Amino acid sequence: MKALAFRKASKIYRSSHLGRVTEVVGLQNLELEIEKGEVFGLLGLNGSGKTTAIKLLMGLHLPTTGEVEVLGRRMPDVEVLARIGYAPEAAYLNRSLTGRETMSLYAALSGIPASRRAARVGAILEQVGLGRAVDMRLSAYSKGMLQRASLAQALIHEPELVILDEPVTGLDPLAIKEMRAVILWLKAKGTTVLFSSHDISEVEKVCDRIGILSGGRLAKTMTQAQWRGKPDALENAFAESVKRTDGVGEIKLK
Amino acid sequence: MNTVKAVFDYTFREHVRHKVWLSAALFGLILIAGGLVASALAQDERARMLLDLGLAANEAIAMISVVFLTVHLILQEVESRAIFLILTHPVRRWHYLLGRFLGTLAAVGLGLAAMGLFHWLILFALGWTGEGSYLLAWSCSLGKTAVMGALALLLSLALTSEAAAMAFSVFFWILGHFSSEMNYIAEKSGSSFMRAAILAFSRAAPDFAHLNYRDAAAAGLPGHRWMAAALLYVVGYCAACLALSVQIFEQKEF
Amino acid sequence: MSRPLVAAALGAALAIGADVPLSRQAATFPPLSQLPSTPFAVQDASLASAGLRAGAADIAWIQLLEYAGHGLPELPEAGGPVSPSLQKLTMRVVSLDPRFHRAYLYGASILGWEPGVNRPEQAAEVLQECLVRDPGEKLCPLYLAALTFQKKGDPERMLGVLESTLDDPRAPLMMRPLLANIYKKRGDYRKSLALWEIILDDEREQNDHPRAVKQITELKVLFKP
Repeated sequence: MKALAFRKASKIYRSSHLGRVTEVVGLQNLELEIEKGEVFGLLGLNGSGKTTAIKLLMGLHLPTTGEVEVLGRRMPDVEVLARIGYAPEAAYLNRSLTGRETMSLYAALSGIPASRRAARVGAILEQVGLGRAVDMRLSAYSKGMLQRASLAQALIHEPELVILDEPVTGLDPLAIKEMRAVILWLKAKGTTVLFSSHDISEVEKVCDRIGILSGGRLAKTMTQAQWRGKPDALENAFAESVKRTDGVGEIKLK
Repeated sequence: MNTVKAVFDYTFREHVRHKVWLSAALFGLILIAGGLVASALAQDERARMLLDLGLAANEAIAMISVVFLTVHLILQEVESRAIFLILTHPVRRWHYLLGRFLGTLAAVGLGLAAMGLFHWLILFALGWTGEGSYLLAWSCSLGKTAVMGALALLLSLALTSEAAAMAFSVFFWILGHFSSEMNYIAEKSGSSFMRAAILAFSRAAPDFAHLNYRDAAAAGLPGHRWMAAALLYVVGYCAACLALSVQIFEQKEF
Repeated sequence: MSRPLVAAALGAALAIGADVPLSRQAATFPPLSQLPSTPFAVQDASLASAGLRAGAADIAWIQLLEYAGHGLPELPEAGGPVSPSLQKLTMRVVSLDPRFHRAYLYGASILGWEPGVNRPEQAAEVLQECLVRDPGEKLCPLYLAALTFQKKGDPERMLGVLESTLDDPRAPLMMRPLLANIYKKRGDYRKSLALWEIILDDEREQNDHPRAVKQITELKVLFKP
């Protein structure tokens, strides 16, 4: 059973200035399927199309061509979002609200009934270790606390599919370890997890399968069997598959 | 409608906690108090002058607040990317826009009510006997604020520039009070094309003369049919602006 | 057509539908182009354009009071007993807000009866304007009648009509000292004294209290019951 599928999905960004149209390829003919219960890592350099792929999944972007399907529904589809949890690369939360108010908001938006909301809010905040900061405004939260709040809003409605955009970027080693544990806990519960990352060592520890994106194209997919017990296998595959498309040249060491 | 309520709640909280908005309300109270001093010059017409100045100050502060808040309402959430998290939950875009708009209107309405109460107490203390209805004048100001808010929201989404949206909002505010002049200019215009163009432009802009009861309070209370028509005008104009805003917003990618 | 566009069309139709009865009952403000030409035209137009028509009239009212009291720097010919711009400034107030009852009455009182002004024709024009623009105002016809009696050389009836309006809360406060002065000038010290005593008792007329004390002292000497 497929959790999600990209079917020849392309995204071309068009901008025009004084009648001159510029096109930038975000994603090109992406063909990818992820099974239910799988933990899938999307690897790639900056500008490779990881975030574009995630935005297509979340219905924030519309594919220029092709189709994107999530939990059997063609995106964009508002209803299916109730079954997905999403945490972006940074905690894009409203800082004027407290932890409790923030979670109540996302619980309500996710369709959790009012009668169950307060208990669920308390439980999720406890679960991510923010139990003592529930009535603090987010403006007073540290970066680590904000990341946890962001994770909490993604999990509050116990989704079938969790999408994490660069979940370990900028975290300290302890927080990275905790995030790894969360992903493995979700997997143990049978939740499908898709996450994007630059961090190859993290990806190889938790993923069942990975996909390497380069210049908007899916350059390679690998299963755990292809890297487990083979040091540097994933790193080498990554280095072979990607090329810089962000206009940045190599560092020259003399 | 639960999602509308959830968005409404957090928008309302966000505004009430916003210091700029509180400063605006404070400034309104100072203006009313200033009117108390200035009205001493009006001799026999002190109460009338305090009534006019207070209502005008209330409305001006509400107008400035609603334009400022609604112009930033969506654009700022896009800039801070807080909108990502909202729209990746099962929230229909029109629910989001409606909740944001109503939450803002409620916050501005609360400020308007606080200023109105303060103003009314001063008038009451000065022995104002009440020509016309204070509540009706206040309600008309709220109606104008709603119309201006809906228009500013539409302009912010159509122009995607906060400065341009604010400038156009102020322009429409003035034009809205110029309806009789526009009709006069149209009547005097020699060309039938010009006449049609002026009238069309004038009709597209809100006609605040319909809601300017505070300027016509001395004429006494209008009938129920007038009040019902004024309410329908506000609802119809706001609905049209909000629906056009939804049309634009639904095309947007984030 | 998309659903939002259908909703927008329905909203617009509702607003246009409501516009018809509202336009029919719209408050009748004269167009700004009909304002009398004064040095304050830009001020008036700006305020009225911002939807502050009553506020503009209030400021115009204060300027009228200032002009009548000691002149305005913008109108250098003004001040003193002649007051050539008084009618224009009164018309300015009522053009901005045709229901500014007291402006008609105040302007007409000064033009008609203030010693040294003597412009009853202009006063009558102001009151005629009142009859047209503010037909519900009951005092305007009475003042107009008083002016007619004055013109016909019937001061008794003129004073009778004016005195009958004094207790009306809409009557300008300056009407009492004005009538008191007329009575004094006519040698009717008893009525003059009675009016000054009322003025002295009225908290609203505190500005005239020092004058009232002086007049009462003076009149008590002249009037021996």
